[in-house]
Amino acid sequence: MVQQVLSLKRKQRIAVAWAHDKNSAAAVTKAALSGLAEPVLIGKPDIIAKTFKEEGCSVPDLNILEADNEYQASVKAVSLVVSGQADIVMKGLAGTDKFLRAVMDKEQGIMVPGAVLSYVCAMELPSINRLLFITDPAVIPFPDLDQKIAMARYSISVAKRFGIEKPRIALIGPAEKMSRHFQSSSDYAIMCKMVDRGQIADCIMDGPLDIFLACDRDSVGIKGVSTPVNGEADVLLFPSLESSNPFYKGLVLFAGAEIAGILQGTKKPVVMMSRSESEKSKFYCMALACLMA
Amino acid sequence: MVLKNMSDLRNIVEGKPKKKLVLAAAQDQHSLGAVIKAWKDNIIDPILIGDKEEIQNISYENGYNLDGLRIIHESDTLISVEMAVKMLSAKHADILMKGKVGTSILLKCVLNKEYGLRTGNLLSHIAFFEVETYHKLIAVTDVAMNIAPNLKDKIAIVNNSVSFLHKLGYQAPKVAVLGAVEMVNENMEATLDAALLSKMNQRDQIKNCIIDGPLAFDNAVSLESARHKGIKSEVAGDTDLLLMPDIEVGNVLYKSLVFFAKAKVASVILGASVPIVLTSRSDSEQAKYDSILLAAAASN
Repeated sequence: MVQQVLSLKRKQRIAVAWAHDKNSAAAVTKAALSGLAEPVLIGKPDIIAKTFKEEGCSVPDLNILEADNEYQASVKAVSLVVSGQADIVMKGLAGTDKFLRAVMDKEQGIMVPGAVLSYVCAMELPSINRLLFITDPAVIPFPDLDQKIAMARYSISVAKRFGIEKPRIALIGPAEKMSRHFQSSSDYAIMCKMVDRGQIADCIMDGPLDIFLACDRDSVGIKGVSTPVNGEADVLLFPSLESSNPFYKGLVLFAGAEIAGILQGTKKPVVMMSRSESEKSKFYCMALACLMA
Repeated sequence: MVLKNMSDLRNIVEGKPKKKLVLAAAQDQHSLGAVIKAWKDNIIDPILIGDKEEIQNISYENGYNLDGLRIIHESDTLISVEMAVKMLSAKHADILMKGKVGTSILLKCVLNKEYGLRTGNLLSHIAFFEVETYHKLIAVTDVAMNIAPNLKDKIAIVNNSVSFLHKLGYQAPKVAVLGAVEMVNENMEATLDAALLSKMNQRDQIKNCIIDGPLAFDNAVSLESARHKGIKSEVAGDTDLLLMPDIEVGNVLYKSLVFFAKAKVASVILGASVPIVLTSRSDSEQAKYDSILLAAAASN
């Protein structure tokens, strides 16, 4: 992924809201030094300078803009991108609620009008030799049918940026059978038919599928389920935040996953990571945002 | 195997032992005429239950010859229906047919918990049409019984119909779930149910058939219009069974096929332990005859 971005040979200007934390500082430094990005740091100049110094980050000519609090910093970062003075918004130590309030502001925000705000996450796993995309592990608690359709479309556009022209999307449930106990299975059937009829384009979709059928070809054989995803899913679309969030965090903790996530539904890329994300993942997130810019 | 026309039903019947048909409240000119014709043609072995005097009068007026026909006299309509149903539940006959009795009375007896013909399945109606403009018979369900079937009912209706088609020799009938459009539209419940039925079929939760839907009527029955719309479907243009969204659509389609397309039609009620011929007074004698033929062809 990083290689793909560097090959673009175009530096993106990243506006970091409330750039007070060490992980952001380190990731921003790495991005700046590798020629990926040009950071604009927003917050209290003395704290930012101190943090960067403590982390041993030596970025020549740090560009710092002053803001009094998290929300102001977020508003400023968004407005820089809206006005074209920066390319990417990134959340630093600002709280998610305050940050999203700035992003979603009807007048000064950066949402595509009427769009669903969601999140797609690319995941690099030592156990498979391709990227796995997850949606939505961060924003929508219980996506309804329309939101699931939006999530699928977002994941297609992100996958395309990675050169996957027709991603295989697995709609995840606890089993592959239709069940009246799971609303998601109905939504999934409807979405699959929309793919059949060309209402959702440029993907191969099946669901409900469990994770095994989605990602393991042997299971497809053993269960004898005929599925076009065939155990080779590129995208896993989850029925709820409650299932997607623990899934990706579990893989980060126990399976050595590195992730890069990005908000969707915004006019320009917005990087929003959990504060506990590793420096490497934060760097990947920036790289993904640069790729999407 | 698929059936091209009504005479294919005749071929099936000729290859089987003759079936016993019980006509309940047999003092009805239209049903009697069709039953006697089917008897003369060696399609069925009829048993008439009803008012013997009235049956004889009708026969005399219409020139029917009753010689050799089994008639059980019962002047009370309700009792004659009960007798007919009991005869079928005791497996002394194979097909039930409604004579001069209200549909609700007949169905009440059919659904009687002690002596009825319940199987636990939903009762549904299936009609087969022969039209010059289609390359084979097309079955349509449900145009007469279930008013506004929900998803669960639709599953039961498809299952009833598919097992009936199997009895006629179809291996994997092609089922089109009808909508106003072939696209999924959240404001059209029928298109959503269609998507769910398709997926249940893919997951083997509805077996022994191929389901696709939503399909609009044109792309369900015309390959050309399906191609024109770019629909990739095993069912489009080659439908064996059309599943209706509700009785209003179904009934209008039924009647427009009969009146405008001059279709031949045969229909039966499914879901009981035997096929039930339940034609209405307005059906032609030919339709009644073909319905008897259809029931006989599908009887075990």
